[in-house]
Amino acid sequence: MNVGFIGIWSRLGRFVALSLMIIFVLGPLYWVAITSIKPSNDYLAVPPVWFPSQPTLIHYWAALFAYRGLDGLINSVIISVLATLLSAALGTPMAYSLARYNTGGQHLSFWVLSQRFLPPIAVVLPIFLVYRSTGLYDTHIGLIIAYTVFTLPVTVWMMFAYFRQMPRSLEEAAMVDGCTRWQSFVRVAVPLALPGVVAASVFAFIACWTEFFFALVLTSRHAFTLPTVFRAFLGFQGSQYGESSALSIVSLVPSIVLGMLVQKHLVRGLTLGALRG
Amino acid sequence: MTEAAVADPVGRKPSLAPPTAFALWCDRNFKWLLVAPAVALIAALSIYPLLFSIWISFVNYDFSIPGHDFVGLKNFRQVVVDPVARWSVVVTAMLSTLDVVAEFLLGLGLALILAQSFRGRGIIMSILIIPLFISPVIVGQLWALLLQRPFGPTDFLLSKLLGFDVTISWLTEAPWNFIALVVADVWQWTPFMLVILLAGLTAIPPHLYEAAELDGVGNWRTFRYITLPYIGPMITLAIAFRLLDSIKLFDTIFMMTGGGPGTNTYTSSFYLYQVGFQQFHLSQATAGSWLFLILTAVIIMGLVRRLLRAEA
Repeated sequence: MNVGFIGIWSRLGRFVALSLMIIFVLGPLYWVAITSIKPSNDYLAVPPVWFPSQPTLIHYWAALFAYRGLDGLINSVIISVLATLLSAALGTPMAYSLARYNTGGQHLSFWVLSQRFLPPIAVVLPIFLVYRSTGLYDTHIGLIIAYTVFTLPVTVWMMFAYFRQMPRSLEEAAMVDGCTRWQSFVRVAVPLALPGVVAASVFAFIACWTEFFFALVLTSRHAFTLPTVFRAFLGFQGSQYGESSALSIVSLVPSIVLGMLVQKHLVRGLTLGALRG
Repeated sequence: MTEAAVADPVGRKPSLAPPTAFALWCDRNFKWLLVAPAVALIAALSIYPLLFSIWISFVNYDFSIPGHDFVGLKNFRQVVVDPVARWSVVVTAMLSTLDVVAEFLLGLGLALILAQSFRGRGIIMSILIIPLFISPVIVGQLWALLLQRPFGPTDFLLSKLLGFDVTISWLTEAPWNFIALVVADVWQWTPFMLVILLAGLTAIPPHLYEAAELDGVGNWRTFRYITLPYIGPMITLAIAFRLLDSIKLFDTIFMMTGGGPGTNTYTSSFYLYQVGFQQFHLSQATAGSWLFLILTAVIIMGLVRRLLRAEA
């Protein structure tokens, strides 16, 4: 780096641009965090209260109990965890088959990938009708199935890219030593691919955790997830800022923490393995 | 290891016991057995509903009118002539274009800055990607909180910065409501562009830049003739991904404007949701979603083929 006159100016420019961007990203998060601990009479103060003199956790209790946020949280955990496990359990074998045996040629992988881009509105109405008639509507199992399907393209494609990068030689050696294909898959390939499975699962989990549309349409008073609880705050102008902020914090903290853990797989996760980070 | 081998009913034991016919069959169809469960599940929840919905879109399926009589193209006609439906297509096209363009330019600028190495780069990157992991519903909630009058601090801050009184109703007043929606989307998805473009930029071999510097090529020309062509595929990929996702825009509309004022900010997804799940004109909504699907399918095909080529 040249540290001349130009160098100083470009460093200053970089500093200013990045500072503005960080303020833009963190500002809203700060505001929601601060609102969640603000006493209600600070809401409408002018100038705005940037830090409450008497912070309170009362909104958290209200959000979790009065607005059934806790039920939503529990449902979200159950549904996201099980859908993620199912997605990994079904997606990993499929990815292996596609990567090692080129099963179904390009058509099958094309079809799976296109599911990722299918607008949910195009399938949700018939799914809703089917769920209504089969009793899956507003059940955990119904949403778990929907989320498994919804995350499968991500899991399959991330794992597909992962298996492609893994050398076949170990699996081949295992087969020479008398392992069946099943054994070389279960005992050799899967353990080797475990870091990839974990990363793909974290992305699948975040996708389920933050999903709104399917949950909105396919659940109601029983299997509702955390994001759908926010409906309760619509249309009540000005009275539930604290509660909705508290619930936002409850929901966004886990997914951000998980996201930070898989940060180095982010490029792969966002592009379904099409790009290596 | 040994226990698992004994417990595994399918696997041939490393001993010389002859494999059963079932084990042989499993081994022969190995690759199909691996894909079968996933394919069956996806088919059950996407192919079957799509076929079912073809039928729905040609019959009467409406909670207010009993019976399922064949009605021909009536459902499709109802959508096509509905001015709200047409407007929703305009809104969808407009918002997704604005979103993607703004996110691309901002993301590219940030990627160019972050492609340099300097102290604190890692931590800045970690901060900038935070919005990617937040539910779009909460992003909508967040921005509604910031923009809502009189509670939100936005107008107050703008008044201070600009030196005159700003009294904009960001969520209920056109065109500010569109700007508010774009800002929320840009907040959440600029990091997406940033991450992908940065991956592209860091993959450019440094000797190209060194050669350009030796030859006395200016910054702009270096960018135009080395950087841009090199990250071209990544640009296409990032834009296509974002475009396909922003076409589905629903969550932030739901939380921020509720489609309003009136039907002013109805996107196609929001319109179809309203028709299907609020008014319960199920067959009309289904016909509409088929039209929507056909409109988007062209773009989906293009992108997916491209991705497959990149992978092969």
